[in-house]
Amino acid sequence: MSGLSMETATAATLAGSPRPARHRPPASGISRFVDSGLRWACRGAAATILLMLILPVSVLLIQAWPAVHRFGAGFLVSSEWRANELEIPVRDAAGKIIQKDGENVTTIEPPSFGALPVLYGTAVSAMLALIFAVPFSFAAALFIVRVAPKIKIAGPLSFLIEFLAAIPSLAYGLWGLFVLAPFLATTVEPALISTLGKVPFLSWMFFQDVEIAGATVRRQLPAAGRDMLCGGLVLGIMILPIITAVSRDVLKNVPRAQIEGSLAMGATWWQSCVEMLRYGRAGLFGAVMLGLARAAGETMAVTMVIGNNNQIVLSPLAPAQTMASLLANEFAEATDGLHGSALLYVALILLVMSLLFNIVARYLVVGKNSRTSGAH
Amino acid sequence: MKKSIVGLVALGLTATFAIAAENVRLAGAGATFPAPIYKKWVAEYQKANPTVQIDYQSIGSGGGIKAITDKTVAFGATDAPLNKKEIEAMGGESKVIQFPTVGGAVVPAYNVPGLKGDLKFTGEILADIYLGKISKWNDAKIAALNPDEKLPDLAITPAYRTDGSGTTFVWTNYLATQSEGYKTAIGTGKQVKWPVGQGGKGNEGVAAVVQQTAGAIGYVEFNYAVQNKLANGLVRNAAGKFIKCSAAAVSAAGEGAVSQLKGNILAADIWNQPGEAAFPIAAFTYIVVHADLASVKSADEAKALTGFLKWTLTDGQKLAGEMDYAPLSASVATKSLDALNNAKFGGK
Repeated sequence: MSGLSMETATAATLAGSPRPARHRPPASGISRFVDSGLRWACRGAAATILLMLILPVSVLLIQAWPAVHRFGAGFLVSSEWRANELEIPVRDAAGKIIQKDGENVTTIEPPSFGALPVLYGTAVSAMLALIFAVPFSFAAALFIVRVAPKIKIAGPLSFLIEFLAAIPSLAYGLWGLFVLAPFLATTVEPALISTLGKVPFLSWMFFQDVEIAGATVRRQLPAAGRDMLCGGLVLGIMILPIITAVSRDVLKNVPRAQIEGSLAMGATWWQSCVEMLRYGRAGLFGAVMLGLARAAGETMAVTMVIGNNNQIVLSPLAPAQTMASLLANEFAEATDGLHGSALLYVALILLVMSLLFNIVARYLVVGKNSRTSGAH
Repeated sequence: MKKSIVGLVALGLTATFAIAAENVRLAGAGATFPAPIYKKWVAEYQKANPTVQIDYQSIGSGGGIKAITDKTVAFGATDAPLNKKEIEAMGGESKVIQFPTVGGAVVPAYNVPGLKGDLKFTGEILADIYLGKISKWNDAKIAALNPDEKLPDLAITPAYRTDGSGTTFVWTNYLATQSEGYKTAIGTGKQVKWPVGQGGKGNEGVAAVVQQTAGAIGYVEFNYAVQNKLANGLVRNAAGKFIKCSAAAVSAAGEGAVSQLKGNILAADIWNQPGEAAFPIAAFTYIVVHADLASVKSADEAKALTGFLKWTLTDGQKLAGEMDYAPLSASVATKSLDALNNAKFGGK
């Protein structure tokens, strides 16, 4: 009863309001106070979200500044990541070590930091992940949109894929460490080595050039299991659900007329699928970008399976390091000022990169979908 | 009825306050390597002194030094002794007390299938393995030391710590004494740049690589290797003897270091020691406090702190052996106690 009377009261006041367009009840002192209070609370909440983005970025910038100042843009192209000082003996013109009072004369080489190995590791592991994940994701999305509804499993299947996305990354990492890596080490990689290992122009896949005291030594890579290949595979599995889920939504938004039109033109079922993919290509590209952003930022699972060596070796069988795994490995103990600062420089690059990936992806997925739905 | 309840509550409150006044809470933080023995010490000490509550957090040596410098903990723990910069940050040499608590060792642990016994290594071979020069287990140099073993034609995967650690500090310092090539190419420190191999975070990370990979070799703390039953090899010491690591062999290495210990900031490198029975890759782990105990708030706390630390150097040492740490030799323990006795709170 009371609800009804209030409704009528509101309607009455609305009708009698001098400014009906703004739907504002008559201003009593308290309600005006509550109103403006709420408005300020909302503004505050919105500003907090903005602050939550700005504050970490500025803290990162301040903390990373010593390294930014010291290494500048050269940080991106230097491949030396060494936290310790080196004592290098001084040599004379003939290459003989200079001695003084029976001891070698040495110079101290200060610690040096460069991000190229981790940039390379991040890029290559993410690319490998896309190579593994994208074909599966698109195929799965097509299946869910075009086949599954006919046999009434679209619902459960969608649920399962969303469920996959909710599994914590540590679970994927543990699976990679205890199941996938040993399987690669004992079965896949030895098979690769025994079959492709003899092919002359593929030797880069199985050897690593190590520089020892100025001389380069060619060293066979052991089948260790925890390497770039394993990292790429685990990442691929991890980004599969998100790419599938987003591609499914994109394909669902392809207008029916588009598919029926292509079928009416005499296209086969398969050709109409290709037409669907072509129509949704911007959104699908956005889905891939979202997957890429997740792959580039993924931390714990990668740290467990990628082998953690800051080096650039072409072979997928060599251990590598990504930006995120470098931070996970070294941050807790990086007490020396410059080392910690260099790590935060890496974090800054990672943050900017993920932000860019996400902006592009969002523009492609959301922007394109709203434009297509707006055309209807 | 009501009155008696009020009375009971009041009684309860006063009782809690009385206990709170007597209880002393102390915090320590630092190295992960001695954490098991420190936690054991805390547990045993609290049984005898229930009013003292101590909390040790194993956050790493670097974190421990930072925490004691900032006075956020009562004592700090570190595997690598304080360097000049760190001593300056704490207020200079007269303001710092540092002393060893137990000895530990770093052992080469490996996973090589089909072996009959323990492998023998020299420091030079270990350095060459980590440099990438020796890349197969049937390398002539390894085979020459181990004539009884049929070594497989298997690639070596060296495993190392990716996080800064006292373990890496000891291992790299030992290798630097053994190989000039190693010293200039990789160098020494809590974290260095390894040219080959696989990284793992913490002892458990390295152990995981070793256990999972046929042909892997890694360096882990001795007690970790024992507790996780990792095969670990004999290493040739400075006297030319091949020594299997044990608490006694580490204590023997510490024995020779007494002459290095001077003043209130005690530090001694005990790798590559001359004794016949000494294991060559050994090190002390240290506790650091402010000389004026500025990190605690009251005389009671100061008393509890020095009481606990003195106990670890006397009765506590008996627990070290059973936890696979090397107890300090009597002469080293005396030096540690002397240094600790110079800690004064408020000039007392």
